[in-house]
Amino acid sequence: MSVLTVLPDNERVLVKPGETILAALTASGFGYRIGCRRGGCAVCKVDLRDGSVTYDHPVADTVLTSEEVAAGTVLSCRAVPDGDITIELRDERLRVTSSLLRALRPVPPTKTKE
Amino acid sequence: MGVLRMGYAHIRVTDMAEAKKHYVDSLGMKPMEEGDGKAYFKGWDEWDHHSVVLEEGGVGAVKFGFKVEKLEDLERFENQGKAFGDCVVERFSKGDNLEVGDGVRFTTPGEHVIEIYHEMTLVGNDVGFHNPEAWPRHEYGMAVPALDHALLVCQDPTLSERFFKEVLDFYPTERVQPELESEQCMATWLSAGQKIHDIAILGGPVQGKLHHFAFQLEDWSKVLRAADIISMDDISLDIGPTRHGITRGETIYFFDPAGNRNEVFAGGYRAYPDRPCVVWTPDQLAKGIFYHDRVLNEAFTTVWT
Repeated sequence: MSVLTVLPDNERVLVKPGETILAALTASGFGYRIGCRRGGCAVCKVDLRDGSVTYDHPVADTVLTSEEVAAGTVLSCRAVPDGDITIELRDERLRVTSSLLRALRPVPPTKTKE
Repeated sequence: MGVLRMGYAHIRVTDMAEAKKHYVDSLGMKPMEEGDGKAYFKGWDEWDHHSVVLEEGGVGAVKFGFKVEKLEDLERFENQGKAFGDCVVERFSKGDNLEVGDGVRFTTPGEHVIEIYHEMTLVGNDVGFHNPEAWPRHEYGMAVPALDHALLVCQDPTLSERFFKEVLDFYPTERVQPELESEQCMATWLSAGQKIHDIAILGGPVQGKLHHFAFQLEDWSKVLRAADIISMDDISLDIGPTRHGITRGETIYFFDPAGNRNEVFAGGYRAYPDRPCVVWTPDQLAKGIFYHDRVLNEAFTTVWT
């Protein structure tokens, strides 16, 4: 399990091994702007603020250019976090779409600064 | 009669193995040939060699092919393309497309590539033409009978509509207009014969994009059965099952594994060139698109490949 932190609201959700950012947020009861969920439409791009990701499918370079990758753009429906990561949504906030799902997946404890 | 139907959709996919599984196992298309990074498929009730071409690498549409009734239609439409002016017109030769004869390629003002051709190798459908059964006994998945139409996205739908009208002799059956009396359209549905649409065009901030390509099923129960298969196969669902006000079609939209949008639908009504064109205005647009919900979802008008 790793921890995904989502800015600007600093929401923290657990990510199971192999889960994409979209899958972890959906399973935790959160919604945000998404499109095809299959890496084709580029609607679900977010900015990586900390950590790194791996893509579980080939992604078209017309959808995510190498310049965007270098600048920290992440295609969230296909990106699997490599451990703990922080992302920032673009001009939107996470919405709770299911309080039941949110209650069913434990929220990771906030780290205390050492 | 000129254009008979959309004969092929040539689509880019990021992962050929996943795409083949989708179009064969879920949609029920028949694999026809593979090689050179492309794979060819047909529906059970199609008699020409293929209707879907998948090419590995990227997403979105490479081009669409429309079959014409007579060889001389090619020259007529070529001349109409040159007279229209606002499009690129070029000839292509037999063999440039697998199992397809000579043809004419147009690049529309919306930057979509449209090919017309008169010949494709005849292979026959799955029930034959001599005392045939009503449907193939061992149909698979959604069992799509045939490719039907596509919805394209470009910046000036009124101009692209003019291309299909003036170059390829299509006529609009339904339009979304800024107001009741207007030459301008925000979206348009065009027929080449008696189908409610053979092509549709939606205005957007981009050029040359694909909103979806579609297959017609026999009836509403087949659309609901397709919805079951979408769940069974964990296919990304866009919207539906529901009905469109526009075209009266009963529909469901979903995405292939590369994110290209597919539709399977039933219903609609028969089109005639002398039937008054249906006009939708922005105040009732949500009902026109989703007749039951009457709410436009953001993804439907902003997601394309």
